[in-house]
Amino acid sequence: MRIIVHNAKCQGHARCSAQAPSIFTLDDEGYVLPGDINVAQGDELLASRAVRSCPERALEVDSPSAARFDPAAIQPKAGEA
Amino acid sequence: MAINPVPDHVPPEMVRDFSLFTSPGMPPTPNGDPHAAVACAHDGPPIFYSPYNTQDGRGTWVITRAADQRKVLQDAQTFSSHRSIFSSVLGETWPTIPLELDPPAHGVFRSLLSPLLSPKRVTALEPAVRERAIALIDGITASGTSCDVMKDFAFPFTVGIFLRFLGLPDQGLDTFVGWAKNLLHGDDVERPVAARKIVAFIDELANNRRKDPVDDLMTFIVQAQVEGRRLTDDEVRGIGVLVFVAGLDTVAAAIGFDLAYLARNLKDQELLRSEPDRIVLATEELLRAYPPIQLIRVATKDIDFEGAPIRKGDYVSCATMIANRDPEEFESPNTVDLAREHNRHAAFGYGPHRCLGSHLARREIVIGLEEWLARLPTFRIKEGTAPITCGGHVFGIENLILDWS
Ligand code: HEM
Repeated sequence: MRIIVHNAKCQGHARCSAQAPSIFTLDDEGYVLPGDINVAQGDELLASRAVRSCPERALEVDSPSAARFDPAAIQPKAGEA
Repeated sequence: MAINPVPDHVPPEMVRDFSLFTSPGMPPTPNGDPHAAVACAHDGPPIFYSPYNTQDGRGTWVITRAADQRKVLQDAQTFSSHRSIFSSVLGETWPTIPLELDPPAHGVFRSLLSPLLSPKRVTALEPAVRERAIALIDGITASGTSCDVMKDFAFPFTVGIFLRFLGLPDQGLDTFVGWAKNLLHGDDVERPVAARKIVAFIDELANNRRKDPVDDLMTFIVQAQVEGRRLTDDEVRGIGVLVFVAGLDTVAAAIGFDLAYLARNLKDQELLRSEPDRIVLATEELLRAYPPIQLIRVATKDIDFEGAPIRKGDYVSCATMIANRDPEEFESPNTVDLAREHNRHAAFGYGPHRCLGSHLARREIVIGLEEWLARLPTFRIKEGTAPITCGGHVFGIENLILDWS
């Protein structure tokens, strides 16, 4: 699974890293670092939860079919690491 | 208190009998729910004029829609933060920093302070925060099956962390909480007395750190440089006072309102206890439902804003508790849904002044709830007691007696 980061939308709430500190790296002011993020298979549930916690919708899961559904639904058919 | 007539340029039909200080549910109220009480602001026009809506009895425009508040808060040129809320209590005009500075000066001081409160810094503080929570809660459970959450947990927990951050000893805790209480919720006599004590305290601390530097926030401030120079005495004081006031009361109030909610909603309490993974997201929803702060801006020029004839010098209120109940922003805004996602709440404000302490505040709340729920069985409001809540510039909860017998 890959997460697309829309930096222009990020406001530095840092809620993604509150959910998943190991996946989202922030700068000193709490803004997510630029660049898309490849998520390891075991971390997909956590990562998608973090994506959905972003109030600005600055994070997007790259596999749209999986992203919109219940996180449990994406677990069995885990995408590329 | 000053009586504030409605200015001539405000159309009478835009005036509403609404105030965060005097409306029903705002004065100290047993078993009150001031956040639910202000949600009624959405029953009327999206912007109106409240003739009495600050601590010193001034009128303000009230922006109710979350989207409109974001517009105001992002336009610092039109809606200035320079309003000396603290120093005006003393009849003075120096700004608290960075809160009451506008760009570009604001950015200089914000950049100076932000590394101290960055997510990375907060992660480093986390073990100490958790240790403190556990020590307090273990003390509480060892001594009985009931306690006053505010006095026994919320204040000693949050203020203790904060004092450590400032580099101050724990002994001052009760004194500082007393000052903050008088400053935020005191009368016309108590407020200036409290403000003067805080200023004297910060000035003295700064002097001490100039003489004998140690590894703490105040030493950092007196040694810091901006634009190639040392800070002036007023700047040092402005920062010290702000950090003191910003962190003293807000987190404690949040924890109080959150635990009061969970004490009254046992299903949600059990859900978070049995699935603690949910606490991070739930904390955002509780911040949405029970945010403590009203933001004030001052118009720097005449502007017709979404139909409101705002004139230079008018006060504009962006109350986070009103934005957070906006039906256009949130589905079922008056329902607490601990699994709410994409929760664009306004508790920490928006735009250039968005709360610098938000990462610390959030960690404190999450850790406080995690340890509280893990270490206590089902808790309720103790029978025969009623938590007293109040509105105002900063919403608060005075006492919260919980029982788990
Ligand atoms: C739940 C707890 C808290 C809430 C709800 C909260 C809320 C806010 C809000 C709404 C603002 C924006 C004010 C404005 O735009 O006029 C703000 C600013 C600020 N807060 Fe907090 N705060 C909390 C805790 C803290 C803590 C613990 C600290 C410090 C240790 C802190 C430090 C600051 C600072 C320095 C600013 C000024 C930022 C600037 O002007 O650029 N806050 N806070």
